[in-house]
Amino acid sequence: MSTVVNTTVNLGGILMRNPVTTASGTFGFGFEYQPYLDLRRLGAITVKGTTPLPRRGNPPPRIAETPAGMLNAIGLQNSGVDRVKEEILPRLAALGVPVIVNIAGDTVADYALVARKLDGAPGVAGLEINISCPNVKKGGLQFGSDPQGAAEVTRAVKSVTGLPVMVKLSPNVTDLVAMAEAVAAAGADALSMINTLLGMAIDVERRRPLLGNVTGGLSGPAVRPVAVRAVWQVYKAVRLPILGMGGIGNARDALEFILAGATAVAVGTANFVNPRVTVEIIAGIEDYMRQNGFQDINELIGLAHRSGE
Amino acid sequence: MSQLLQVEIISNANPAPNVYVLELDAPTLAQEARPGQFLHLHCASGQDPLLRRPISIHGVNRQTGRVLVMFQLAGRGTALLAERRDGLLEVMGPLGHGFTLVRAGQTGPTAGSGKGKIIVLGGGIGAAPLFFLLQELAAANGHEAPPVRVLLGARSAAQLLTVEPAATLGYQVQIATDDGSAGLHGPVTWLLAEELKQPAEFVYACGPASMLKAVCQLLAEAGVPGEVALEERMACGIGACLSCVCATRQAGGEEHYRRVCVDGPVFNAAEVVWR
Ligand SMILES: Cc1cc2nc3c(=O)[nH]c(=O)nc-3n(C[C@H](O)[C@H](O)[C@H](O)COP(=O)(O)OP(=O)(O)OC[C@H]3O[C@@H](n4cnc5c(N)ncnc54)[C@H](O)[C@@H]3O)c2cc1C
Ligand SMILES: Cc1cc2nc3c(=O)[nH]c(=O)nc-3n(C[C@H](O)[C@H](O)[C@H](O)COP(=O)(O)O)c2cc1C
Ligand code: FES
Repeated sequence: MSTVVNTTVNLGGILMRNPVTTASGTFGFGFEYQPYLDLRRLGAITVKGTTPLPRRGNPPPRIAETPAGMLNAIGLQNSGVDRVKEEILPRLAALGVPVIVNIAGDTVADYALVARKLDGAPGVAGLEINISCPNVKKGGLQFGSDPQGAAEVTRAVKSVTGLPVMVKLSPNVTDLVAMAEAVAAAGADALSMINTLLGMAIDVERRRPLLGNVTGGLSGPAVRPVAVRAVWQVYKAVRLPILGMGGIGNARDALEFILAGATAVAVGTANFVNPRVTVEIIAGIEDYMRQNGFQDINELIGLAHRSGE
Repeated sequence: MSQLLQVEIISNANPAPNVYVLELDAPTLAQEARPGQFLHLHCASGQDPLLRRPISIHGVNRQTGRVLVMFQLAGRGTALLAERRDGLLEVMGPLGHGFTLVRAGQTGPTAGSGKGKIIVLGGGIGAAPLFFLLQELAAANGHEAPPVRVLLGARSAAQLLTVEPAATLGYQVQIATDDGSAGLHGPVTWLLAEELKQPAEFVYACGPASMLKAVCQLLAEAGVPGEVALEERMACGIGACLSCVCATRQAGGEEHYRRVCVDGPVFNAAEVVWR
């Protein structure tokens, strides 16, 4: 039974041969995982958050494990857009896999600067605007929790690039749908969700916070129900393709997001547990389609809404 | 190159309270591993604990294809590992940048300067990777050229688990314990301070952060080069997530964060910035 199934999706102009990409910040620039899998099998590779200038990031310890999840406070350590553009993107382009660059900054101008520099960079298929990083003082969540700020960043980026622009939303808001509507109106081509949930943990023996940054972002299986809910609500309200993520660890988890309305999915924390998990998920989705008689993945997107209400 | 492997557990020994030694059947690891490198082990069968645990390679036998890891009970992950007696264990490895082997009578960056002894210093469970280093130093240089001094410290005599294996390799070992139950009553760094009064060529150290900090200070004062193996909390173990950083500064350069999992765990002692 090896019926050919179509897994190609269009994520707001980013064409992916299957709906699986990597979550920014969990997959480096891809090459780190090359010993474990064939990167060319991925639907896209989403790389680490990139800022105008190099960033040191937060002091260690940067992670803490929590039940079925982890907190991180990396603080957007990266080598800056120029080095990413000159040294890394050409090598990634050679793989022939669409590359999504996650961009961040302190100000609207920062986002626009990075976006402008990446316009036309080799291999880049789209930008993911990170307005939802809980681990930096400025930028990040400051835009991600205010619909007007989010719309402003989106417009600024759209005006300087011809690339598809996806806006990554934070679950740390009262009204996620309002955020989604604001960036959709500002011209976003797609939405991605969710970034990590703001959290913290305390070392009871030493009586102090476990993370150097005190608070961090929660990811992993523990956040999945929150993320599925986010995708479900936004899918109902906004007509933009969604990149769903948050605790995806296997094909069934990925399908949950697709059925809730995600056009594609990103796998993050699970890469740390199993470096081959992305390709296993791709194979698992194909198996599911064959076993359940679906020829085209697009039939599954948002399908749960038809029986859900 | 690192691989994701299912390796068979041959045995699990419990040589001291709370310390375990797993013997793994892993021929490719035994061939490729270098001292100071580590394995990233999957401890749980479900999602708790979620992340892998980094454990150093304690020793290898290239003939039999066996690899040893030695670990101390520290929490849930190591408790689960301690229960394993047989079956398959999922490991990623060999990972990280290991110790630079100082070779006698060679030229190049790893050549011995002939200026004196090599010192290998371990504290507590930190001595685990040093047995592998001693195996390789013996293979590279024999025991006397250059002479190697092994200094091992622990809380008490019962925790001095690397002394016997080191002696089996032919090394003379000096001991220090916190409680005075064996050797010098005091920190192992006192032994180092004593040794550094005579010329030394290179120092390798692994152990708790407080000990390594003192080691780096002593080396800086004596002007002796060396390497220290650091630990930090890890997620990916392969350089992708930037979780495991430590602060370093290269001579004349700026301080920046480097990844313990790929830029280390072994670092030039002169480059580590301690708080
Ligand atoms: C490169 C490297 C090599 C190591 N080699 C050895 C070895 O040979 N033998 C040995 O006994 N131990 C070694 N450790 C320490 C070992 O990884 C920790 O003791 C272990 O992860 C604790 O896990 P746990 O679930 O039992 O404890 P928990 O306390 O439940 O762990 C909770 C979290 O803290 C992390 N953590 C706790 N202690 C440490 C630590 N010291 N370093 C890094 N992360 C830590 C865990 O990985 C986990 O994410 C090494 C650590 C590193 C980084
Ligand atoms: C270590 C780590 C680093 C991350 N770095 C970034 C980042 O640079 N930019 C970003 O938009 N999201 C970042 N994230 C968030 C992930 O991309 C993702 O949204 C989140 O982890 C939820 O997915 P998961 O549960 O599958 O990990 C990071 C997450 C982790 C765990
Ligand atoms: S553990 Fe991920 S970079 Fe070191």
